[in-house]
Amino acid sequence: MTDVTLRIDGMSVTVPAGTTIWDAARDAGIDIPVLCHDPRMAPVGVCRLCAVDVGGRTLAAACVRACEEGMEVRTSTEQVQQDRRTLLDLLLSDYPDVSRRERSTGDDALLAQARKHGISNIPYPDGSRASPRGEDHSSQVITVDHQACILCDRCIRGCNELQHNDVLTRSGKGYRTRIAFDLDTPMGESTCVACGECAAVCPTGALTNRALDGIALVSEEET
Amino acid sequence: MKQLTGTPPAESTVPTRRVDTLCPYCGVGCAVTYIADTQRNRIIHAEGRNGAANAGRLCVKGRYGHDYASHRQRLTRPLIRRDDAYPKGALSPMEERPGKPGGPVEESAVLPHFREASWDEALDLVADRLLAIRERDGGDALAGFGSAKGSNEEAYLFQKLVRAVFGTNNVDHCTRLCHASSVAALLEGLGSAAVTNVVRDVARADVALLTGCNPTDNHPVAATFIKDAAVNGTELIVVNSRRPRIADYASLYLPIQPGTDVALYNAMLHVLIRDDLLDHDFIRERTEGFGELAETVKPCTPVSAERICGVPAGDIERAARMLGGARAAMFFWGMGISQHTRGTDNARCLISLAMVTGNVGRPGTGLHPLRGQNNVQGASDAGLIPMVYPDYQAVDDAAIRKRFEELWGRPLSPRPGLTVTEIVGAARTGQIKGMYILGENPFISDPDVNKVREGLSSLEFLVVQDIFLTETAEFADVILPASSFMEKTGTYTNTDRRVQLGRQVLELPGEARQDWELICEIASRMGYPMHYDSVAEVFAEFAATTDAYASLSHAALGEWGRWYPCSDPETSEGEPIVFDDGFPRGRARLVPARFEPAEEQPDREYPLILGTGRVLEHWHTGTMTRRSRVLDTLAPEAEVELHEQDAERLGIADGQQVRVSSRRGTIVIRARVGTDVLPGTVFIPMHFKEACANLLTNPSVDPWGKIPGFKFCAVRVESAQAAA
Ligand code: SF4
Repeated sequence: MTDVTLRIDGMSVTVPAGTTIWDAARDAGIDIPVLCHDPRMAPVGVCRLCAVDVGGRTLAAACVRACEEGMEVRTSTEQVQQDRRTLLDLLLSDYPDVSRRERSTGDDALLAQARKHGISNIPYPDGSRASPRGEDHSSQVITVDHQACILCDRCIRGCNELQHNDVLTRSGKGYRTRIAFDLDTPMGESTCVACGECAAVCPTGALTNRALDGIALVSEEET
Repeated sequence: MKQLTGTPPAESTVPTRRVDTLCPYCGVGCAVTYIADTQRNRIIHAEGRNGAANAGRLCVKGRYGHDYASHRQRLTRPLIRRDDAYPKGALSPMEERPGKPGGPVEESAVLPHFREASWDEALDLVADRLLAIRERDGGDALAGFGSAKGSNEEAYLFQKLVRAVFGTNNVDHCTRLCHASSVAALLEGLGSAAVTNVVRDVARADVALLTGCNPTDNHPVAATFIKDAAVNGTELIVVNSRRPRIADYASLYLPIQPGTDVALYNAMLHVLIRDDLLDHDFIRERTEGFGELAETVKPCTPVSAERICGVPAGDIERAARMLGGARAAMFFWGMGISQHTRGTDNARCLISLAMVTGNVGRPGTGLHPLRGQNNVQGASDAGLIPMVYPDYQAVDDAAIRKRFEELWGRPLSPRPGLTVTEIVGAARTGQIKGMYILGENPFISDPDVNKVREGLSSLEFLVVQDIFLTETAEFADVILPASSFMEKTGTYTNTDRRVQLGRQVLELPGEARQDWELICEIASRMGYPMHYDSVAEVFAEFAATTDAYASLSHAALGEWGRWYPCSDPETSEGEPIVFDDGFPRGRARLVPARFEPAEEQPDREYPLILGTGRVLEHWHTGTMTRRSRVLDTLAPEAEVELHEQDAERLGIADGQQVRVSSRRGTIVIRARVGTDVLPGTVFIPMHFKEACANLLTNPSVDPWGKIPGFKFCAVRVESAQAAA
């Protein structure tokens, strides 16, 4: 296999051809933010948070774009940063006030990115009030909050690519698009085998461990 | 304009501790981090770790089945049977009573027959009674059942206690009920019973045969890797008499009549030989006995096999050609192969298939009997087997025995001991008088439980050490409250031969104590001082007796464990694939098998064939999973699966209560009508006491592995109303 050499934020990097920009940057110690990507699963490039400047007409999603010989990648130009803030504003504009993930295990990746990018005011009306997307409490093990779903497809890939249970999919069009179990049946009545992979890979408060609803975990050292 | 105001605080805050450990359930051996609520001493959350066997994945049991450990029914004080609770017998009702939910032992019916005691009183009583039997009737009047759920260290100490202190080799465990026949065939054929390659090596196989196993239910995370392989081009041949979900990913699914495996595999061998799809170099250099095998399978044509096993001859040809044409093929099997009165013959056939096609010892090739319990492999390695010491060293070999006599400082019995089913039989006849049962529940797990009931009731003295009041404990004189997986540290060897360290997550409840300490206490009180400063020290003594573990220690295993053999744990993960240039016995021995019909054929009175097994959510006798809120809610009730043709003929509707009877007993159970089972066959999971499948099963055993034929007995099914 041939290698390609490129520069990421001024650093010269040599990687096997076919390596994605995101992987190359990670190996070089450069952190490119992502929501939809998880190294255990095939990248899909839907959240666009990892978009970086490769000198093209538009920004490129680092998680799917392969490195090219001589490429000049810049991961945090003002334009890139601005782009990320706009994406986060849009994702957060209809995010629920309570993220079950943030409240229990404190690791909501969307809110973490919001904090990192200093976002507090969103220049859009609160979409969660205008047309709520609903919750599904039918499963014994997982609470589904469609309002907190950013359609990153991680749960769908976790269900289909990692566990091969082939239960999760997408349903609907436009703003009504949502994750669905089987042919859009309630989770607890679907063919779900309750492996929990979807909630384990979900980055937001959309799919969370039902047993942790309403409680906050604090590590012993912190108490 | 929307304001991000920050997440409002939760109603309550829970102090937690994270512990890197293992899932307590199956032989896949998933690595997991459990997050414990330290205030209430319970686990509240699980995260998959990047273990060698699971790469972060978990199934429903590992992720949500952990709450059993803090169930309110945990035993927390030693119990002694009250004088008025003799003569002994089961104390809680077997059948589901109207208005009473089913479930594990009824505490309210059982506990009044016992009184709480101090540890000293209970342990002294155990030691005195066992000693008295040994002095009066000799060591062979005693026996012990250890458990494949315990750690390697516990297994080692338990067999040491039985051998060095009880003075007998009557020590066995539940492997007898699952893979004893596979072990017998592998020891005979290769000289080693461990898997020859790891599950995830299937990614490098062109073809994988999965027979008599249902990995999506029983080895769920292993199944995900097998499905990964299928998606990436590995062709799966799935053979079963009850369609497993993994058949959805198969290139070829062969529905086979129960108990006819030898006919199918002999026909595949016939085709391989007839069409010369053999690895001649491998056969010449690495095997012996090919001539006799070829002679035996000569008359076994696919057409004649079709008449026996029901698999179309064309499909048999195709399966054989797929195997013969594969660059690398792997063989997975489970209880559908082993739990037959001809289980050893079934496994012999699979070994022969792998050998004549040269499919062992290279990437993507190998023999992999999927282990059930989390520590089946380790418990056997550590010598919880009546014929062998640790490392499969024969008890009737004088030189070996001398070594163990020196190590343990006691004379040892030269006579191989009795197996699980033989011990139960010997208890009925009064030959076995005293027993120590640690973490097993033979009253639900063994075949023909009415006979088990007689055996357990006849014992003069029984001590049961467990975490819950089991059905078996109802027969005990003394019950010792023990440690659950979550409360102990120790090593476990998974189906891949990966030795991994499980770490203590929770504190022991009440006065419950560590299992290994209790074994030492009983030994010491019986006049054989047993003292160790730590579990790691026990491991070191065990490892010194067992070549495969000799290079390992708790420290060397670290966070992720090692595959054995492992030349140097500092630099190596161990061997994922073994036998690349020789078998422990030298050449592999090909042992031909001839098809023999199962003993108890269906007849007019009992026209259907019953096979037992498990469901995804439950574990064995249900002592743990039926006390897990999530698992018991997802699968609250036993169901008998029935083919729709049989259901129609018998006038049985889906969901209706039916009676299932065999020559040994009757149960009442809900019917599930479908097409997964073959016409003429039914399936019942073994977990449910109130519809106890083992009331029906046949106790006759395989002549070599001594494993009962759980997968075959003749039954009758009728509507419960009609029969009443
Ligand atoms: S596959 Fe087995 S070891 Fe893994 S989580 Fe499930 S029960 Fe536990």
